[in-house]
Amino acid sequence: MIATSETPKSVGAFLRAKLERFREWMLRRQGNLVVFCVVAIVIGAGSYGAAMGCWRDPLQALYTSIKLPLVILLTTLGNGLLNGMLAPLLGLNVTFRQSLAVVLMSFAVTAMVLGALSPVALFIVWNTPPLVAGTTIASLEYALLQLTLAVFVALAGVMGNLRLVPLLREWAGSTAVARNVLFAWLAGNLFLGSQICWVLRPFIWEANRPVEFIGQDCFQGSFFETIFKAVCRLVFS
Amino acid sequence: MMMLVSVVCSLVSGGEQLWAAPVKIAVGLMISALICLPSLYIFTCLSGSQARLVEVCGLLAGLLMLMTILLIGFAPVAWIFSQSTESLAWMGTLHLVFWFIATIFGLRFLEAGFSHSNARSHAGFHTWVVIFLLVAVQMTTALRPILGKADAFLPMEKQFFVNHWGDCLKATDSELKRPGRE
Repeated sequence: MIATSETPKSVGAFLRAKLERFREWMLRRQGNLVVFCVVAIVIGAGSYGAAMGCWRDPLQALYTSIKLPLVILLTTLGNGLLNGMLAPLLGLNVTFRQSLAVVLMSFAVTAMVLGALSPVALFIVWNTPPLVAGTTIASLEYALLQLTLAVFVALAGVMGNLRLVPLLREWAGSTAVARNVLFAWLAGNLFLGSQICWVLRPFIWEANRPVEFIGQDCFQGSFFETIFKAVCRLVFS
Repeated sequence: MMMLVSVVCSLVSGGEQLWAAPVKIAVGLMISALICLPSLYIFTCLSGSQARLVEVCGLLAGLLMLMTILLIGFAPVAWIFSQSTESLAWMGTLHLVFWFIATIFGLRFLEAGFSHSNARSHAGFHTWVVIFLLVAVQMTTALRPILGKADAFLPMEKQFFVNHWGDCLKATDSELKRPGRE
């Protein structure tokens, strides 16, 4: 008799899996599922990171291919406890392990989309005027590149989270509970994920700095502090 | 078959373009399809479609085939217009319009194939269509010139298609405003 909760054997099988199959994977302790998701994140996000970084330098491509999966994995682990606590508080009866697995699966979907978009990202990078001595943060080509790559990341993130919606809805038995849990997880992941990106920058390029894995002022300031100061300048200027 | 269509494009300028334009159009279209194939497969899977990778490749090949057949149909029309003008911007626009019409029919075929593979939602497919159109259009700029002449087979300068089209239209406008032009 074939076990119905076997871990996915391929990317296609994982992405096409029906709700019942996802639920079975969630409920059973499956180390193989975690390994599958982690490998998908490393390969998918890694290839997209390599495409992002290669505009600057091949070494930057290598660094970003390591950093982008690291952002995803650190966000998942960093918010694991919080997500595990928020879910039952909002009405979804899951364990810490199950909430971690759900978030990991949604990030695996995101990473697979990013991996699929990496040839397109590479094509865009190839078509972007190269980095020269005169390129600045305000340069149009850098802005366009940054925006396009960010839109792809946002698209992949949306698709990954949309995959979660029917699962949470079916699990919670209520659309409102599923929506609240999803928003809470999203807000937490966005908050921590943004700061992890801030610490691990640069991903594409940093003006007047050589290629390095992490910038020297990585722990100075924060993503939201920068936005807060910009808003204060706008409001009080 | 795409080479046949491309020969009509090359007749606008003649010379080296008689072989360069067909090569660029055929290779450019295939590379655009290859670039977009992984995302098509992933979006197909996410929509719940049961199509395997081989079947998705087949559908994509069908899209390219249908586009090519329709462009062959447009070839005589394009040829007649190309004999009546020296304006590269106008001919470029005309070819893009024909290409866009052919692509719409090709995408209808792809969507029909998609529907038959038990896809639950077409949102991913519609997103992919936007990506494919942008890649294909950018490819025409990356492989320029397809109409017109240049010193090199491929351009030295990298440009986005919007910038390139803007430059072409400005060049046409300044030509029209040149004193003594009838």
